[in-house]
Amino acid sequence: MKKLVALILAAVMLLGITSAFAEAEKPTLTLWSIATESDANRPAYEAAIPAVEEALGVKIVMEAFENDSYKTKIKSTSAEELPDIFFTWSGAFCGDFVAANKVYCLDEEFKNYAEQLPEVMLQNSTYDGKHYAVPLTMNIVTLFANMDLLKEAGYDAVPTTYEDLIACCDALVAKGIIPFGCSGNATWCVTEYLEPIIEKTIGYEAMNEIFAGRATWNDPAIAKAVDTFQEMITKGYFDPDGLSLDNDTVKANFIAGKYAFYQNGSWNCGEINDAEGDFQAALFPVMDAEKATYGQVIGGPNDALAVSAASKDPALAAKVAFALGKEICHYGYLAGSGLPAWTPDYDTSAVKPLVADVAKMVSESEGMVLFGDNAMSADPANIYLSYVAKVYGCEIDGAGFIEALTNELQ
Amino acid sequence: MKRTLSYKLNIFLFLLPALILFVGILIAPIIMSAFYSFHEFNLVANTDMEYVGLENYKILFSSMLTNANTGKIYANSMYLGDALTHSLILAALSTFIQLPLALIIALKLSKGIWGERAYLSIYFMPVLISTVIIGRLWMNIYDPGPAGLLNAGLRALGIDKWLFPAISNAITSSKLPFTGQWTGFRETALIAAFIPILWQYVGYHMLLMYAGIKGVPADLLEAAQLDGCKEGQVNRYIIIPYIKPILKVCVIFAVTGSLKSFDLIYALMKDTSRAELPSTLMYKLLFLHNRYGLGSTVAVVLIVLCFLFAVLISFAFRDKGAKVA
Repeated sequence: MKKLVALILAAVMLLGITSAFAEAEKPTLTLWSIATESDANRPAYEAAIPAVEEALGVKIVMEAFENDSYKTKIKSTSAEELPDIFFTWSGAFCGDFVAANKVYCLDEEFKNYAEQLPEVMLQNSTYDGKHYAVPLTMNIVTLFANMDLLKEAGYDAVPTTYEDLIACCDALVAKGIIPFGCSGNATWCVTEYLEPIIEKTIGYEAMNEIFAGRATWNDPAIAKAVDTFQEMITKGYFDPDGLSLDNDTVKANFIAGKYAFYQNGSWNCGEINDAEGDFQAALFPVMDAEKATYGQVIGGPNDALAVSAASKDPALAAKVAFALGKEICHYGYLAGSGLPAWTPDYDTSAVKPLVADVAKMVSESEGMVLFGDNAMSADPANIYLSYVAKVYGCEIDGAGFIEALTNELQ
Repeated sequence: MKRTLSYKLNIFLFLLPALILFVGILIAPIIMSAFYSFHEFNLVANTDMEYVGLENYKILFSSMLTNANTGKIYANSMYLGDALTHSLILAALSTFIQLPLALIIALKLSKGIWGERAYLSIYFMPVLISTVIIGRLWMNIYDPGPAGLLNAGLRALGIDKWLFPAISNAITSSKLPFTGQWTGFRETALIAAFIPILWQYVGYHMLLMYAGIKGVPADLLEAAQLDGCKEGQVNRYIIIPYIKPILKVCVIFAVTGSLKSFDLIYALMKDTSRAELPSTLMYKLLFLHNRYGLGSTVAVVLIVLCFLFAVLISFAFRDKGAKVA
């Protein structure tokens, strides 16, 4: 009996050693992301990683960090310490890493995916004509509406003109319903309101020029847009508690039926779609029809994966990054945590209705402006955010906003 | 022993590991920060270091700057003066509210009251709790919604009816009315951030003082009591002078801690601009703005201020009767 037990144990050990060797034969790649347990994209990563590991015969070791901590960590990491593949925001954020020669150029590998990944989706991570990051999903600022509350105020559809929206807000306030919720504790949430209002006042082309630093902030139309936003705040269209609430609480309040509208990124589509109630997605209406159209949106392919130039096998890492990007996009789209940056080559009948609606808006969009804090480099972006916070707190008006940004940034 | 000490090389070699650690961990980073403060560069983009002289100091200490292109004068959003003022207010509150409170509690507990050990643990507990948890806890207390403990209490007592309009009138930074958003306005956010900081470290100072009081020789106290001293007189003329060195340490910790304060404010409100302190500004400049030279300048200012305050406090607490050796 003892011999049998010993034999079984020996066999198990041998099997373990063999499988360990088999595992060791697989190349291991490290990945840093922001897909923490509570992140909306976590399920997409969890589904994509095993699929890519099996398809390419690699082992991917992912480490996930909370959004703000990640920004600090990745910025203070030397080129040699970067993982093989790392999450990045496109635009100026990734641009700094490219300028420091920390990122591997993906042009060669992109050729294999050119048919599935429209080149326009790589425009925010293209520097000097070269591609440096694989887009995952894309997102736009979306106006989510609680149709049950709108019906109480006598509206069956989301208003598509500014005048209608204001009339709707007045009707909601008269019924004791707060029209909008916005977190003042996270300034990027305020930009989700302010940027569409500015875009729908001056047009996407003018806004792109300003974010790129080629045009001045000193435009009275921007001041007017800011004043309009503040007028909405002072007229009681926004939850006054929002000033000191975080975004998760504001979103939970909207889902619970405290606000009629919540304007935020389309990555919320899945969660809002699955919540109890009748929710619809729309865009902020036009403020100046001569300069802007309804189909102009804020957003774009922003989340991406980059490959470290110091990776031991950057060509393999690039291959894995593209495969991962495609799969994360696939599972993220189905889960409703983002819109597809890649052309879907799978059954999309299971896509959630709210996600499909927003995807349609993107396909019909007439112009796009990347989120301001990603479009601008770190220093101007944070100066801009500091004044956006002051706008929401009604500490400065439109004239003060454009004057401050003109003086500090130009 | 004397012979051993006479070998200077031996002494040097024994001290060398500690010296290397001291220089490597403390002195070298200070020197590097001072060096960086005269330069501007972006570490992420790996830009070349550009020597800017005293420009970073000028930016931090100028409330108004001039636009080089237009010649217009504008308010400087990176001005350090406001953050420093906030720190000094916190330092004053720590010294004149937190420390006296800690001293009163320590004096009471050291008298051997019933449940002394339990009270010690209770007062010291906030020091043991992670700052992030304390931040979360106080966020819930300040929550403007129905779940907020503070507002619920004020509303239940009917105090909000006169307090909120009074606060609204006192707020000059915003046109919006105050309806219980304690962390939403500059004026209230600063106070809201300071209260948990003061609350958290009362127990820490109390424990230091308590240990000091327990070290007061019993014969001294007995002699004072035999001479007819009342409790207040014993505290004033025996205990407090006896624990003066500990009080000095507490004041140094409270003041330098206020200057360096960062974690609780960051945990309490992600956008720290409404209650900006030098450390939060330094974090922003280094890791959000990628202005490594400017961020290092704030670090240098903080080091100098902490050192200066430590020297000033030591001077204020010097024993006037003692002769300098």
